[in-house]
Amino acid sequence: MPKKKRAGAGQKPIPKKKHSAAGKEIPMPKKKLKIGFFSLTCCEGCELAVLDLEERLLKALNYIEIADSRLLLEKPLSKKLDIAFVEGSVISKHDLDSLHSIRERSSFLVALGACATIAGIPGIRNSLPDYLQDKIKRNQIKPMKEKAFPISAFVKVDFLLQGCSINEEEFLTFLNRFLHGKTTRLEQIPVCFECKHRQNSCLLLKGIACLGPVTYAGCNALCPSENAQCIGCRGFTDDANFTALDSLFKEIGLSKEERHNLFTYFNQLPEELKEFAKENSGELPNQLKELAGENPKKKIDLEALK
Amino acid sequence: MQLVRVLNYIIEKESLSKWLESLSQKSTLVVPVENETGATCFEEFNGQSLFLSGRTDFSAKKFFLPTNEKMFFFRKKTLSYGISPNFPKGRLIAFGVRACDTHALNALDHLFIKLLGDDCFYSARRKNSTIIALQCREACSSGFCASMGCSKPTGHDILLAERPSGFIAQAITENGQTLLSAEFFKKTQDPFPEPSLECSKGLSTSGIEENLYANFNHPIWKKEAERCLSCTSCTEACPTCYCYSSSDCFEFGSGDSSRSRERDSCQLLRFSEVAGQHIFRPSRESRLRQFVLHKLSYYKKHFGTHLCVGCGRCIDACPVKIDITEIANKIQGDAKK
Repeated sequence: MPKKKRAGAGQKPIPKKKHSAAGKEIPMPKKKLKIGFFSLTCCEGCELAVLDLEERLLKALNYIEIADSRLLLEKPLSKKLDIAFVEGSVISKHDLDSLHSIRERSSFLVALGACATIAGIPGIRNSLPDYLQDKIKRNQIKPMKEKAFPISAFVKVDFLLQGCSINEEEFLTFLNRFLHGKTTRLEQIPVCFECKHRQNSCLLLKGIACLGPVTYAGCNALCPSENAQCIGCRGFTDDANFTALDSLFKEIGLSKEERHNLFTYFNQLPEELKEFAKENSGELPNQLKELAGENPKKKIDLEALK
Repeated sequence: MQLVRVLNYIIEKESLSKWLESLSQKSTLVVPVENETGATCFEEFNGQSLFLSGRTDFSAKKFFLPTNEKMFFFRKKTLSYGISPNFPKGRLIAFGVRACDTHALNALDHLFIKLLGDDCFYSARRKNSTIIALQCREACSSGFCASMGCSKPTGHDILLAERPSGFIAQAITENGQTLLSAEFFKKTQDPFPEPSLECSKGLSTSGIEENLYANFNHPIWKKEAERCLSCTSCTEACPTCYCYSSSDCFEFGSGDSSRSRERDSCQLLRFSEVAGQHIFRPSRESRLRQFVLHKLSYYKKHFGTHLCVGCGRCIDACPVKIDITEIANKIQGDAKK
């Protein structure tokens, strides 16, 4: 049997069909997308959540290249980045300087996780009583501001990936859409929507204060499905009705301090709650003292803090 | 096929679970149960204890309209496309469906099969399903099915009624008759019980579609909207809420993609957003009004039936206790003055 001639050798090239990609590899961008991970003041948990993708992250590495990451690389591989993922909030001069340089280096900047998007856990200090604030200031190396801030307070942020820690599926979806030249947007959907899809009984109806109705969905109602209240780690929706939820919490029997603490657990107070905060700012130390009176262990802790 | 002669059968309480087990071997059987979080809903049967003392918190809607379903796919490599491999197959038996939910399924049938020109996903599920309805012994606390004319089941295959010793069963269709196997069911001369339900809540439905529409700017909308959290509990608990949106999703890097549809809710801000980012119903008031008017006014005006079956799930599910009957009755009362 004669050997088949290789196509193209001494033959007319087959004319390419227009508008047909059948049988061909998909033209993905030749250059890999350069991404970097940066951590400001945070626990680096969101970066770990990305690493939790394991095999799927390895698959994604055919299309992306991790060019800068303190956790993954010895030294940065590239100065210019296509996407910079920044986790953590800005609480010191050092944080602010590195944030500005990251913004300059990257064409797209994504805030990763609760600390970067809404100030999250570091933001708790914003509503702490003075004597605890002093304690933090004493320990801090280079205090810059009185408060912790989300990164959007200082630089232009192109997209938010929310949650504490982030939902790694959402990270992958975002990256995937980016590779296909599609934009992603924040859906104004409350946690309750996904909670109802999982057919959970409502915690608010059971008399447990839950921030589900005002918090961005995307976590698949993780906490309420385990009978734990939503504490708003994914940030408040634009559509949130705080006044109604606040009065519902009042009916449930939460004190002013408890309500304030729940709303500010992860989130900075939005406009509607600012007045509420003003009213209550004087009562916060009292609440801690009350707690201290009830619980001797806490009392010792508080004394030590002073 | 509807049976001409309806016979009554009895089944002992002990043999009910055996019967259900035999049904679940041949097809997917969904039964009302209490789940881990304490909510009552329909789940696939695997020997759990049943919840039969009343209407469930969530209807069996998700087995006919899944919250997220892939419809079709494109393969860029082979330039092919086709209907999703997850296309519904196999028989579904829903056990313990209450009268209100049979009416809700009827309403969805009307919409997805008649009006939308045979939605293949819905009708594949629906045509391959058997509904075993269960008669309510007592009216539930927040239901108003009697006012909506939905207290007697319709469109079911078998009707069951609970008795102290067991259940009395009636096969309505041929499809249902085949399931009443002689192994578990015995013929009986006992009459089928006809309990008269007295719902605690009521709704005066005479001329409601016109009255609600005429009172588009009634102050009650604003008043109730102040409490509303727009949490979508009402629409997601409602057995007739069917709104969905569709979106494309991509497989990583391969260029394959698929289109899926997800449940959507009129209570969400972006629900009525169109190109150019215009939102038709930006205020909470207008979204709440849309929910009530769609159920009790628009649908009746356009298609001849109310989309509300009076199950009262939206009332039970609402964290701030907004009550559709209170709103409707207030407007009805004001209109009659």
